Amino acid sequence: MSKNVIGSQDRKWLFQGIGLAIVIIVLGIVFSIINPRFGTLTNFLTILTQASYYIILAVGMTFVITSAGIDLSVGSLLAVITVIGFELIKTGTEPLLGVSIMFILGATFGCLNGILISKIKIPPFITTLGMMVTLRGLALIHSAGKMHYGLPESLTWFGQGEIYNLPVPVIISIMFVIFGVWLFNNTKFGIYVKAIGGNREAARLAGIPVNTIEILVYTFMGITVALGGLIMIARIDSTQATIATSMEIHVIAAVIIGGTSLFGGRGNIIGSFLGAILLSMMTNALVIAGVDYFWQLFIMGIIVILAVTINNIREKKVSFSKILLKA
Amino acid sequence: MNQASTQSILMKVTGLSKYYGGLTAVNNVNLNIHYGEILALVGDNGAGKSTLVKALAGALKPDNGQIEFEGKEVRLENPRDAEKTGIGCLHQGLGLVDSLNVPENVFLGRELQKKFLGFVPQLDHSSMHEQTIKHLNQFGVNLPKIKEPVINLSGGQRQTIAISRLLLQKVKLVILDEPMAALGVEEGRHVLKLIEKMKSNNISIIVISHNLEHVFKLADRIAIMKNGEMINILNTSTTNRESVVKLITFGQT
Repeated sequence: MSKNVIGSQDRKWLFQGIGLAIVIIVLGIVFSIINPRFGTLTNFLTILTQASYYIILAVGMTFVITSAGIDLSVGSLLAVITVIGFELIKTGTEPLLGVSIMFILGATFGCLNGILISKIKIPPFITTLGMMVTLRGLALIHSAGKMHYGLPESLTWFGQGEIYNLPVPVIISIMFVIFGVWLFNNTKFGIYVKAIGGNREAARLAGIPVNTIEILVYTFMGITVALGGLIMIARIDSTQATIATSMEIHVIAAVIIGGTSLFGGRGNIIGSFLGAILLSMMTNALVIAGVDYFWQLFIMGIIVILAVTINNIREKKVSFSKILLKA
Repeated sequence: MNQASTQSILMKVTGLSKYYGGLTAVNNVNLNIHYGEILALVGDNGAGKSTLVKALAGALKPDNGQIEFEGKEVRLENPRDAEKTGIGCLHQGLGLVDSLNVPENVFLGRELQKKFLGFVPQLDHSSMHEQTIKHLNQFGVNLPKIKEPVINLSGGQRQTIAISRLLLQKVKLVILDEPMAALGVEEGRHVLKLIEKMKSNNISIIVISHNLEHVFKLADRIAIMKNGEMINILNTSTTNRESVVKLITFGQT
């Protein structure tokens, strides 16, 4: 049972997870030596808490990318979900109902992405790029210039609460990762996602309902955006129309660094989890070192390009020695 | 011409046609498949062979025609229908997912499940693993790297996996589209053996091949297509390569 949870792909992917964990530990030690403020337990928990929403979205994104798709609209969707949910709750809607509406919004827009991609056959990149702009527009129409704040305590608990000194966001994200690993490796859904990403025609011929599965993948992504969004606004107790701008890059980078193939067919949830932690750790180190936000963006972009380059070398689409020889 | 008694007919295809826009891919084809026979389907590129077998396997819908299987009319709307009827098809390109391992490919689309916590269905990896090994052994195949993604396996091994995928469905008719293409001599020989083994298990086989040597070695009958039409169906024992080649190229002997 335990060997099945991780070992369904092949051992190489497990090693990759271990490799990433080693990178995280080594970098953690290096950062701590450079700046002692980095290497404290409090800061470690802060990193995990900051990583929590990226981790949750990265789980959804691992399914999307493994199905040979991409979702660029997650940051904008998070903005729409949170400004609407926040305002509803602030204007007297029951918190539980408000949160339910957030999840319904997430699932609906995710489902819409899935329908456009699988039924209307618009490439995922274009569909979600259009949706990214549309949804950001929607968030701005709803809340341009407005800053929402002041959630009831029952909701801020999701972002600020603690159980046995462990931040609630960390607990939720780790539980979600465990669920994601199970869903990815031990269910028909997981196998079908890999099959569609690996060989769509073969999946169809094997009788897999490819369109339905694809719609479910994007719907699931939308639900993870709602969960991540809930934790994010609960933690900072505010939201605005420009929240989570360029979050998609961060999430996609975490997934690619984690070893999920951009060409589809293969993915690694644990890798995405570690990738999200690695990125948050680097952001945190940059913040502690006093590096400007603009430089953080600059560095994040370079990390994404590097991660994809490594992905292509790994997939043998590009020979590294050939590049060196030509240069 | 081969009018065997009706009891021995497994599948009867009548007036099957398929058009792509103005193009006629398959035109009014009639064909009977007998129990336990190997029928080779030959013809030039674009003769309509692949389109015909796709229609027989439920991979595309014909525009006209009727298919009877074991005396009953069947509608093959999708590959699942064909599978339920007892027809399995090995398409060109095998239909394997490179990134999945051997059991995952063998069971793709009909995974075995068990209950997790008593009520949540989840994959039964160990049963699929065991059954795959048992199943492959039955056909004299021994794969050392069963947990590897199938992309790491040789062409012949992949072919074997694809064929055993079909046999697991308990099919009565197997359609093979160019099963020996891109295989080495030794691997090709192995697949030939597998096909003969299927026949000895009373499975009927339609095989598309360009290799007339294989066709004459394997087939009981040879069906020749040209420009979407079924030109002739010959008994292998009463014809020769020259006439078949002439039919393929000129449509007549």
